[in-house]
Amino acid sequence: MTKLGVFDLEVRYGKVPALGGVTLHLQEGERLFVSGPNGAGKSSLLKAIAGAVSSSHGRVELDGDIITGKSAEAIARYGLSMVPEGRDIFSTLTVEENLRVGTGIRADKQAIEGDIAEIYDAFPILGERRHANAGALSGGQQQMLAIGRGLMTNPKLMMVDEPSLGLAPNIVDQVYDTLVALQKERGLTLLIVEQSSARAARVGGRMVLLRGGQVVGDGDASEFAERDLLKEAYFGQADQSKSTEQVQ
Amino acid sequence: MNAVPQLFFDAASLGGIYAMAALGIALIFGVMNLVNFAHGEYIAFCVFALIVPSSDAVAVMFLGKAPAILLIPVLLALGALIAVASEYIVFRQLRNANPVAMMISSFALGFVIQNTLLAVYGSRPKAISLWPDLNTPISVAGASVPLLQLIVIITTLLVVSALALLLKKTRVGLEMRAAAENFTMARLLGVRANVVITGAFALSGALAAAVAMIMVTQTGVADVRMGGQIMLVAFIATVVGGLGSLPGAVAAGFLIGAISVVLQAALPLEARPFRDAFLYTLVVVILLVRPQGLFASASAKPRV
Repeated sequence: MTKLGVFDLEVRYGKVPALGGVTLHLQEGERLFVSGPNGAGKSSLLKAIAGAVSSSHGRVELDGDIITGKSAEAIARYGLSMVPEGRDIFSTLTVEENLRVGTGIRADKQAIEGDIAEIYDAFPILGERRHANAGALSGGQQQMLAIGRGLMTNPKLMMVDEPSLGLAPNIVDQVYDTLVALQKERGLTLLIVEQSSARAARVGGRMVLLRGGQVVGDGDASEFAERDLLKEAYFGQADQSKSTEQVQ
Repeated sequence: MNAVPQLFFDAASLGGIYAMAALGIALIFGVMNLVNFAHGEYIAFCVFALIVPSSDAVAVMFLGKAPAILLIPVLLALGALIAVASEYIVFRQLRNANPVAMMISSFALGFVIQNTLLAVYGSRPKAISLWPDLNTPISVAGASVPLLQLIVIITTLLVVSALALLLKKTRVGLEMRAAAENFTMARLLGVRANVVITGAFALSGALAAAVAMIMVTQTGVADVRMGGQIMLVAFIATVVGGLGSLPGAVAAGFLIGAISVVLQAALPLEARPFRDAFLYTLVVVILLVRPQGLFASASAKPRV
């Protein structure tokens, strides 16, 4: 069953086009990676789907309902959650308050407490520091908190923008392990922005390649990884996604 | 008479008024990045709501005749109402406009309220006597203190703690703090923008009403222009405190009140008319040392 349908979606910032007619579909329970160089429109795609920026053309369907043009707070109520690039933790709020911001749209009090306990289970460090200011957490801990906070709205579809950005490789492993485990357990549909095809292939899933605001490739993440590996073998470290991973 | 406790009470009560006015501005700046220059006019509006509309020099009490137990909640509600109404009529239409456009609109709104008051009540300041008994001095710690000063100090503490509790312990408080730091992120988590913004305006307007009651009791004058002066000081307090920071607004409100009172007492007689020049020089010095304000809020810091 189609969870998310994006049809010919366009985003412009003033006169500058950021997304030039993107069409893609996501099945329920699927895991889709979105990759591409900087400025390809990955973040704009996520923001437009979530209602954080408005699209100039096209439409977005979630479970068959058209959500284009609705506000971000309305779209959250449809069961879509976004973990933005740079995480956007509320640094003046405590860890637990961060988790609770998104629970206003839920009425199931007991399930909320259960979810918080589960997040502390998955990320014990968050439980230990639940009353600490979130601004004092390390980058990796903030990423975990951002994912936990994204889950607290009880989403069916979660979009995570570059979870690996700025994190040490072993922390990235931990973040992905948890994402995969959560997906299995909750039947989540996941859309993840990931620069590294190798990383995406290791986690497993479908991959869409964006360039210049358009979809230029769609296939299994492992196919992209092989191609990138070949390119690297012939041309050295020219591949952009590889070099970003190393820098970070 | 003992000079030091006297100074303390003067500073604390003046600072309390400034702190409450500054809080009203900081609350709205926090959620909307809007410096609402109409805030002073909310205060004037609440003052004039106490009297019968006419252009006579002597004010006839209207709402002001009601017993305190009725008057206080009604005036607080009236303050909240005009603030919420102005959000609905003016600022909501400009939700996606840039902050400068919103700020200029707040000036325009202020002029509209001020000129409406002028048209209805005339331009002459009016003598007005609300709770005159509160100005009777009583003796505390060797100082002769008008009861009102004590009430102002206690009210400020109560208002600030009630606000802190509301922000810390309630759902809407949590949403307001989250929205103040990052509005877009809060909305992505389902926080309703309209609820948070309406809440902030209501609180801000109620604070304006509280300031109005105190000012009127203290000065005994209703003047159409009275909002301007307090608005200026309150705005400076929010800047010194760190725009958007609520604890900063309160602390800076008290600080400016204290500096003002101390200067008034310590400056040589010939220099006293220029007290505000000294006060604002100090403000400039503070801002040169800490341009982000004493308590910079996280939202004001550039994020990586």
